[in-house]
Amino acid sequence: MRTVETSGKTVEEATQKALEDLGVSAEHALVEIITESSPGLFGIIGSKQARVRVTEKMSPEHYLSEFLQTVITHMGIAGQVEPVVTDENLRFNINGQRMGMLIGKRGQTLNALQYLLNVAYHKKFPGEGHRVILDVEDYREKREQTLRNLAINLANKAIHFRKEVVLEPMNPQERRIIHTTLQDNASVGTYSQGEEPYRKVVIAPK
Amino acid sequence: MKDLVEFIAKALVDQPEQVSVERLEDNYAITLELRVAPEDMGKVIGKQGRIAKAIRTVVNAAAVNEKKRVLVDIVQ
Repeated sequence: MRTVETSGKTVEEATQKALEDLGVSAEHALVEIITESSPGLFGIIGSKQARVRVTEKMSPEHYLSEFLQTVITHMGIAGQVEPVVTDENLRFNINGQRMGMLIGKRGQTLNALQYLLNVAYHKKFPGEGHRVILDVEDYREKREQTLRNLAINLANKAIHFRKEVVLEPMNPQERRIIHTTLQDNASVGTYSQGEEPYRKVVIAPK
Repeated sequence: MKDLVEFIAKALVDQPEQVSVERLEDNYAITLELRVAPEDMGKVIGKQGRIAKAIRTVVNAAAVNEKKRVLVDIVQ
């Protein structure tokens, strides 16, 4: 968290200056008064300036919302960022125009942005264990449905031909969807092979 | 485009005041040269270049507005 110390004629004035330096509003800052101002005699002799220490106080979802909003604006995209906080996840949905540009081929832009968001989050809030998930117009939900269907179709293929089926490389979340879809299927087993970022799921008949 | 790289890099490093991006352009491509403090190099490159790759992916997505290829170089 960033902190600045400022002086002014009054506590209010010093605080105002500090907030401007930090670029945050009063509700997102913690103000400590170091010295109160005193007018002194005739405003000259013995007058003392107020001094305050202001610390930026920002919740992770607020910080990340602003981060995302700034990034997409710089990308030339008009979109609304909407945070959804659960116990283990910080989820952000973006809605707007030209969302395809934000998703990219097989979600690669979305995943890159989600990764950067995670890195920025762990940098700014070390020790906090939420996972940051980024979604655009329910893309992930639709993709999950697609992957479930794919898993079921390829499992049938593996059973039918009595051969292992190797899927295309996927990120950990997508691989997990394949594994969990087939974990209750008694006729096939699944495992992953290869190294990130080219790790693939293999569906093997039992 | 330049602002995009600069903003992302500043969020990842320990010394944001040392981040700078220079835009170079020739007939074929726009090159964005990203400079950070020497101790922060790893922060913008990442393990096996993962962060650098993610930055490039995001920049490439934004580059559809440009007529040229946009390259991001991390320089010392």
